[in-house]
Amino acid sequence: MRVPLEWLKEYVKIEATPEEIATKLTMGGLEVEGIEESDLGPVIDVYITPNRGDCLSMVGVAREVAALYGVPLHAPAPPPSSTEGPVSEQTSVTLDAPDLCPRYAARLVRGVKIGPSPAWMQARLEAAGQRAINNVVDVTNYVMLEMGQPLHAFDLDLLHEGRIVVRRALDGETILTLDGEQRVLGPNMLVIADGRRPVAIAGIMGGGDSEVSDATTNLLFESAHFNALSIRRTARALNLRTEASYRFERVVDPEGVRRAVDRACELLAAMGQPQAVEGAVDVYPEPQSPRALTLRIRRAAELLGMEIPSHMAADSLRALGFEVGTQSHGIEDALRVHVPSYRFDINIEEDLIEEVGRIHGYENIPETLPFGSTTQGGDSVQGRLITRMKRLLVECGLQEVITHSLTAAPTFDIGEEERYRVPVRNVLSTEVSGLRSSLVPTLLDVAQNNVRRGQHGLALFEIGRVWRNAGVEDGKLNPVEFVSVAGLVAGPLVEGGWQQGGKAPVADYYLLRGVLEKLFVGLEIDNVAFQRPENMSDQLQRFHPGRTSEILLAGHPTDGVLGEIHPRVATKLGLKERAYMFEISLAQVRRALPAEGPGYHVLSPFPGVSRDIAPRVLESVEFGMIAEAIRGANVDILEEFRITDLFRGAPIPEGTKSITVAFTFRASDHTLAEGEVTVALANIRSALEARCGATFAA
Amino acid sequence: MTDSEDSIQQLVLEAREAVQIAPSTTDLTAIETRYLGKKGSINELRRAIGSLPTEDRKTFGARINEVADTLAGLIDDRRNALQQEELHTRLASETIDVTLPGRPLPTARLHPLTQTSDRIKEVLTGMGFEFVDGPELEEYRYNFAALNYPEDHPAMDEQNSFFVTDEKLLRTQTTALQGRIMSERRPPFRIATIGRCFRYEAVDATHHHTFHQVDVFMVDEKISMSDLKGTLGTFARAMFGPETLVRFRPDFFPFVEPGVDYAIHWKNRWLELGGAGLIHPNILQAYGINTQKYSGFAFGLGVERTHMIQTGVNDLRLYLENDLRFLKQF
Repeated sequence: MRVPLEWLKEYVKIEATPEEIATKLTMGGLEVEGIEESDLGPVIDVYITPNRGDCLSMVGVAREVAALYGVPLHAPAPPPSSTEGPVSEQTSVTLDAPDLCPRYAARLVRGVKIGPSPAWMQARLEAAGQRAINNVVDVTNYVMLEMGQPLHAFDLDLLHEGRIVVRRALDGETILTLDGEQRVLGPNMLVIADGRRPVAIAGIMGGGDSEVSDATTNLLFESAHFNALSIRRTARALNLRTEASYRFERVVDPEGVRRAVDRACELLAAMGQPQAVEGAVDVYPEPQSPRALTLRIRRAAELLGMEIPSHMAADSLRALGFEVGTQSHGIEDALRVHVPSYRFDINIEEDLIEEVGRIHGYENIPETLPFGSTTQGGDSVQGRLITRMKRLLVECGLQEVITHSLTAAPTFDIGEEERYRVPVRNVLSTEVSGLRSSLVPTLLDVAQNNVRRGQHGLALFEIGRVWRNAGVEDGKLNPVEFVSVAGLVAGPLVEGGWQQGGKAPVADYYLLRGVLEKLFVGLEIDNVAFQRPENMSDQLQRFHPGRTSEILLAGHPTDGVLGEIHPRVATKLGLKERAYMFEISLAQVRRALPAEGPGYHVLSPFPGVSRDIAPRVLESVEFGMIAEAIRGANVDILEEFRITDLFRGAPIPEGTKSITVAFTFRASDHTLAEGEVTVALANIRSALEARCGATFAA
Repeated sequence: MTDSEDSIQQLVLEAREAVQIAPSTTDLTAIETRYLGKKGSINELRRAIGSLPTEDRKTFGARINEVADTLAGLIDDRRNALQQEELHTRLASETIDVTLPGRPLPTARLHPLTQTSDRIKEVLTGMGFEFVDGPELEEYRYNFAALNYPEDHPAMDEQNSFFVTDEKLLRTQTTALQGRIMSERRPPFRIATIGRCFRYEAVDATHHHTFHQVDVFMVDEKISMSDLKGTLGTFARAMFGPETLVRFRPDFFPFVEPGVDYAIHWKNRWLELGGAGLIHPNILQAYGINTQKYSGFAFGLGVERTHMIQTGVNDLRLYLENDLRFLKQF
């Protein structure tokens, strides 16, 4: 809210500079966002938090300034009207919806001559950001800015039967509002009507048909209290926000209704316009009595962590408009406090403690550390696992990225994947139309963007939440959230050095598989296997059918996948290098973790024996079958084996390949004899011959 | 006698010269074999001892041994010298260009937001806070209702949210965890969480619809605003350095009372970091916690904001853009 200091100083006498006032207000709870110069001098721009509707006026801000500086507040005090008088014969107010409008006051002014308002008023309005219109409208705006109570002026002669009915709108009823829009109303909206039709949307905007114009001579001033929630819902439904609705949504002082309309009449008369018709119509069926609260001085000190003497607390509250008396609350020192009608935010003792604390100054709160029970700090189980995995993947040379959860639908998906996607309901932009169901599209997006920026050689990973729609129940989505782990490599993992002529090997399936194997070794997960999927399910449509594997952990299938990105997708994204990716849900990794840490087994003191063999097999025989056959030979002295060469070409016949396998044999209780090793190798050879059709060079 | 002494003298002369001009340890070994080997010149002389008169044999034998020792000494000296030379030659020939770059190995880092989160976790863990994860797709009641938001209050205007169903939305604040914790735990507790939040905002250098937030809260007996200030001060000094000061300014959040906005004084500036306050008694009471016995504080912090302050990054959008040139800077 824009507060011209010239205007503010009408209510509070202070000599401080604008900057000092700004700092004082900010540190007291009204944040000053800036100081501007205007024709009227400095204007401070105050941000009012949603709980402080009472500060959406010059007097409201002045009250804070007065309390913070400890100086008196001079609020305007127009001559109060009475409810007696001729006015009640000239108009009437019928309150058909007292739940939405607890109070409605009206006054009449006859014989007005519409013209410009005085220069001082126009200057203040303009400095506060309000355009001057004419003397009557300016008076209503002026009082709203001064006291916070929105007013409305009707042309009395345009009101049918010259009377006011406050009621809910009829379903489909329409009104032409001041902004020239024809608006369709509903039965939950409150309208101000005359004897025949709505003439204003209550608390939001007046109607064009009863608007004050140059021809107006007789006025009806409205000053009312409306239900905040109702105003808010109506304003939202109509997508119509005004200065009035903004204030009513934040609750306006119900006790200030009459004072505001009296102030408007006073100001108008002071401009040389006629005095108002004597008396006011004021329908207020259930006046509110002020809330009474107890403030314990000891309690305030305990919660604030600083002592505020009783008399200082009382002074602060009085300055803010509270009525304060002393009270003996048992043996404690306590204050009995009546809350002013404009402070809807003060409901409990803690609210009062905040008031006395902030006026006393939070800079006086010392720093202490909590004492009492010691608690065990630490990360969650899931958090620790994620940290371990991130470190292992970084060690492998994969850069961590963090991508968006809210995404556009991937452009490269065919068919079924889309049904797992969880759409966001209230969003228009396609960029953020739904929640990612996998990290594959977002990582590919990162790859694509970095390739466009000239990067080549990508190694990335992400651990983050994804969502999948687990089916629609009763027409409702059933989104399930889980953590996914995914990685991508494409092109060379490192820059080619000068020793390799600037060339480095390009990433392939086996590089990323090596990363995963290292990851799972690091997590102490045993029995890791990769196998060709039986069929390419929906989720696998993004992968190359010949270069994709499912991940098995601890001997069990998982939702994990490792493979090359389908050339159709890669082409669409403009990736020049083949891209390899894996994705697995964190829950599946967590399930495969060993229940206990690694045990210790005694190292054999006896030497191992190494031997190689090189079976030749048909191309169709995959290494998995060979490994299976070797394991199936059940050689108990076999410690480990690994493939050391894969050879095709002369002198090996076409359609076959030679695979060199290196074995280490060892016994735990003796040094192996040559004969034992020979027997073991013979067993392995015959297993390979029998199960893989292997032959051995003579 | 003289004849044989002459031939010995001659042998020593020859051998000495051969040793001295031997160009390599390999040549020297050949010379050693020629003179001192099994079939070498010295042994040839020894074989001649048998043909000498008995009285001369002893003297002659001693003479040969003396010569053999002399030769062995000469050869050892020469070998040492040659080995030194050869080592020098090898070292000289093996000189490399140490200014050429090293063999490239893969380099990678954690994302800067992870690095900042890890540091925040480290500091808060040391202060006894336990980290708990909450869902990003949160229930409406935990995100708003349980946090003392009045129905349809303007406060919610400030966090226009992404809804997925009537009950579920992307959480607008990690504070949503508080209700989840209080529904299952009794005080005392010290809890912290770090995670992703979402608000429907136009994206620019300082606003984003997606951001990361820390939420920290504790409930125990007699927890006060000064405990909050001290905890924030300790935390801020660990994060930003020992000179860092903390300041409170009154502010409004429905879930705290009193509510403040806290700022740190760092490098001669006051920087607003986030919201804080004492947990609103309505929330504690809603979860059956006796507010006359217990009180608690809560504070929030932006992860991006923390990293931006520490490093000078000036555009929030960079964090989720994942430009590798940006990520590799940290």
